[in-house]
Amino acid sequence: MAKLTKTRNTTNLTAFSLSRQNSWLLWCSQIVNIASLSFEISSWMLAILALCLCWQALLITVKFNTKSNTRVSPILLTLFAIGGCVAIAITARSNGVLLSMIHLLSFAYALKAFELKQRKDFYQLLLLGLFLLAAALIFRQGLAFSITIILAIMLNLVVLQQLFSPSRALLSSMKMLMLLLLQSSFLALLLFVVFPRLSPFWQVPSSKSAQTGLSDEVSPGDIADLALSGALAFRVDFKGGEIPPYSKLYWRAMTLENYDGRKWSRATKNNKSSSSQPLFVPPTSGNPVSYDVIVEPSYQSWLFGLTVATSDDPTLSLLNDYTIQSRTMLSQMKHYQLESYLQAPLDLTISDDRKQRNLVIIPESNPRLEKLALNLKQKFSNDIDRSNAVLALFREQQYFYTLAPPLLTNNSLDQFFFDTKAGFCVHYASAYTYLMRAAGVPARVVTGYLGGEYNNINDTQSSLNTKQGGYLSIYQYDAHAWAEIWLDGIGWQRIDPTAAVDPQRVDSGWSNELLAQQSSLNNDLLGLYQFKNIAWLNALRLQLDALDYQWARWVLGYSSKQQYDLLSRWFGKNMPWKTAAIFIASLVFTIILLTLFNRLRLRGFSRNKVAPWLMLYQQILKKLAKNGLFKPTNMTPSNFAQTVAQQFPEVSEEFIEFTSIFECLMYQPLNTSQQQTKLTHLQKQFDLLNKALH
Amino acid sequence: MKLFSSVVNQIKQVANAFVKRRVEHWLSKRVPSNFQHTLSSRNIFIMPTRFGFAYLIFIVLLFLLGTNYQNNIILLFCYLLASLFITVMLHSFYNFSQLTFSSSAKQFTFAKQRAYFPIIVKSDKKHFDLNFQFLEQTSLSSKVNIEHCPIGESQVLLPFYAERRGVYNVGRVKVFSEYSLGLFVTWAMLDFSHQVVIFPQPKKLNTHQNYLSALDESDQSDNVYQQTTVGIDDFAELKNYISGESRARIAWKQFARGQGKLSKHYQNQQGSLLWLKLSDMPSSNVETKLSFMCYLVVQYSKSDHDFGLCLDIAVLTKGSENSDQQTVKIAPSSGHQHQQQCLIALAEFAHCSDD
Repeated sequence: MAKLTKTRNTTNLTAFSLSRQNSWLLWCSQIVNIASLSFEISSWMLAILALCLCWQALLITVKFNTKSNTRVSPILLTLFAIGGCVAIAITARSNGVLLSMIHLLSFAYALKAFELKQRKDFYQLLLLGLFLLAAALIFRQGLAFSITIILAIMLNLVVLQQLFSPSRALLSSMKMLMLLLLQSSFLALLLFVVFPRLSPFWQVPSSKSAQTGLSDEVSPGDIADLALSGALAFRVDFKGGEIPPYSKLYWRAMTLENYDGRKWSRATKNNKSSSSQPLFVPPTSGNPVSYDVIVEPSYQSWLFGLTVATSDDPTLSLLNDYTIQSRTMLSQMKHYQLESYLQAPLDLTISDDRKQRNLVIIPESNPRLEKLALNLKQKFSNDIDRSNAVLALFREQQYFYTLAPPLLTNNSLDQFFFDTKAGFCVHYASAYTYLMRAAGVPARVVTGYLGGEYNNINDTQSSLNTKQGGYLSIYQYDAHAWAEIWLDGIGWQRIDPTAAVDPQRVDSGWSNELLAQQSSLNNDLLGLYQFKNIAWLNALRLQLDALDYQWARWVLGYSSKQQYDLLSRWFGKNMPWKTAAIFIASLVFTIILLTLFNRLRLRGFSRNKVAPWLMLYQQILKKLAKNGLFKPTNMTPSNFAQTVAQQFPEVSEEFIEFTSIFECLMYQPLNTSQQQTKLTHLQKQFDLLNKALH
Repeated sequence: MKLFSSVVNQIKQVANAFVKRRVEHWLSKRVPSNFQHTLSSRNIFIMPTRFGFAYLIFIVLLFLLGTNYQNNIILLFCYLLASLFITVMLHSFYNFSQLTFSSSAKQFTFAKQRAYFPIIVKSDKKHFDLNFQFLEQTSLSSKVNIEHCPIGESQVLLPFYAERRGVYNVGRVKVFSEYSLGLFVTWAMLDFSHQVVIFPQPKKLNTHQNYLSALDESDQSDNVYQQTTVGIDDFAELKNYISGESRARIAWKQFARGQGKLSKHYQNQQGSLLWLKLSDMPSSNVETKLSFMCYLVVQYSKSDHDFGLCLDIAVLTKGSENSDQQTVKIAPSSGHQHQQQCLIALAEFAHCSDD
């Protein structure tokens, strides 16, 4: 009767060892865990880690092919470990604290695999691996990366599960874990929404990465490099309100007022004093446009907004040139809200100091431009007329807007303006500003982003003019430079010389030629140009981007403030105890749900075990009971058949036949084909009886 | 100082004994002895393992990391792992519940050997990582593991190491599992009223002498060695020795003369009444005597000798005051059943089972 299953007498449990499959699985999970940090770990460390893993692979192969347990000599390992630690210590200064810790952790993780002597060691290795995955999330948090990390967690947990059920198929193990994680995810989401967001307990070392995006110095030709990048800079959500037309979407980042003959830079002194001054409150008028901005980590502190932007967010500081800065470096995604008064003027009055600064040119550096400026000054008395004259020059002469402008010697604006006549936005902005300054009009270069890609997956057909809902994605290639001149009674007026050269750039974004140029410069197989010209691919790209946006908005951007808003919207005031009550209630609810789920599964199993003939017989019994004849539990089926024959003579034959087949099926050892024929027979009798008893 | 530590030790022992007794009492009420047990919330215990606690600490660490970096994804990661902890608790419970164990009550073995108690496991669904162990023998070698318990019935042989001769209650069986992720250990302490009958450890007698003697009440004080030759004089013939025959039958005289190995064959062996007497065994220690006797019982049964058993020594038992001689006699016979009867008599002889 009882099958003797394979029992394993674990005689020496102290000598811990993994099965062949699990060893390789562990090895794979190690690779995945380390790979999740591969962008952060320096290449020499990666080489060491790869060496460790190869060595590990060799050991596993030897172990299972020759059945001999080869251990690495501990002295060798210790030496190796010390060597690695020394190397980490030496590079610690350049890497910073956080990266050094990451290096140390991953190095320890790779080495720990050589020392799996007990189950304890295995557990340590596993937790260390999970910690590495968590650490990888410090550096990037995109949707795709997060999903990868979830998969990696699954792999790690499969390794753990295989320890307890080594004979189980990998696929079934994975399915089991998927179920476990799915069941957990409900509670996890609840915790995420409800569990209080705390402020940091202590200062932690932040990641030191290369700055991305605009820099605070710009010379002609700079932004063209940025324009090759398709990375996301920030996203803007107008919260369902109408999105201003493309040509109004000048996202100001910084104003560059200092010019040293080669490059434009920020007036740093001014900046420093303003940060110590009381808060600058920009004067406003008119109706505001309200929007949310989610900035990707740039490792700088610049934020972007439409003028005149105001905010009551304490983590932002508004500067007196109407730009916005974050109080901390953006090492993570940042979410902030702004209100912009698009019609409000900038600086109706201007200090002499500032006016002088915005008139500075380097005499004799660009003599031909200065001469032209003098001409303009004499020809037009009005500042606006002078400006229009310059723009007319750009418009009428053969200027090219190009991503690959010819190189200028000494960044000479003369050479650009009169000879090469080809350039990107900074060339035009610089030349324009220089001309205006030379002509006596206070002018400055402003950098930021222009436009943005409109994405609304619910409403892709809406016309360009009435954009509502959805959001704007602003990429690095949207980086732009333009000029501002100060006019009496108007304040700082935005003038974009690019509009005169390439109107399409300002009205609706990059022209196809520019996109093609970008693709060829990047040597992209699938660049933006290709994307934008293949409709379904572009639709797919926009869909994915929308997903990523929702992720950024609801998951990454879920701050304590939003939590407070959400919870007070749900539960009203007096929330702390209500929240706690709801939290506990839902915890209990989850556990009950899971319990029920498992109960049902168990019952499902037992129901499957009921034989079909038994079910048929019981159905007939039910039918007879309805007709007033009950079968006593202690009566055998054949005895009962006699009783039935007496009570219901009209079905006696059928019922006796039915009972005999039932008894055959119930008590005789039959093979499956015999069973099948009997069962069909039984079914036939059942149908007959069913009709007769109706 | 010494006094203090000894006092502390004593208190500890008393406390331990007290706790153990209370637990035992409670357990016997909650999980009473039965030949069959079905696991349910009534008899399943569940606790995080050490790894489970380490995992909790790890979750707290993740929470600190996530909070300090104000990183929502790390927090989500942390919450996911925390929820997993609870889910795994339930799964551990359900992996364990609904299992039915049944086991027969009595097993026999020789001292210093293992008795194997068959436990039949019946399950409605797949179960993983079931471990069995006697609560009183927790050394690693006595653990039995089923990695994968299929639907239906399966059998486990749970070893019990027999230390001393006697009849013992084996105690509870601990069934435990760390499935599915080792975070929780679920266990049940089942009492099948297992009994083990431990025969004396057979001790080899190196002589060719025959220890069978006639049952004669007056002979008891006589020298053992004079008695030994009685009853084997119905000598019939010598045949070539076949390996496997009793060594006692080897005709050593002929062997010494160089006539080769021959074995003596007797006529009418069955006819004479032959008794194994405890008092005839060559040792002053009763346990040693019993060991010799055990060996002889096994040997004679192997060679299909008829023999009777007579345990005729008075032994002062620890528990009872009355030391009056209880001579156990088993009438001569042969066969497996007879052997078993004799061995049980040896196991039970003058033994006060320590409960």
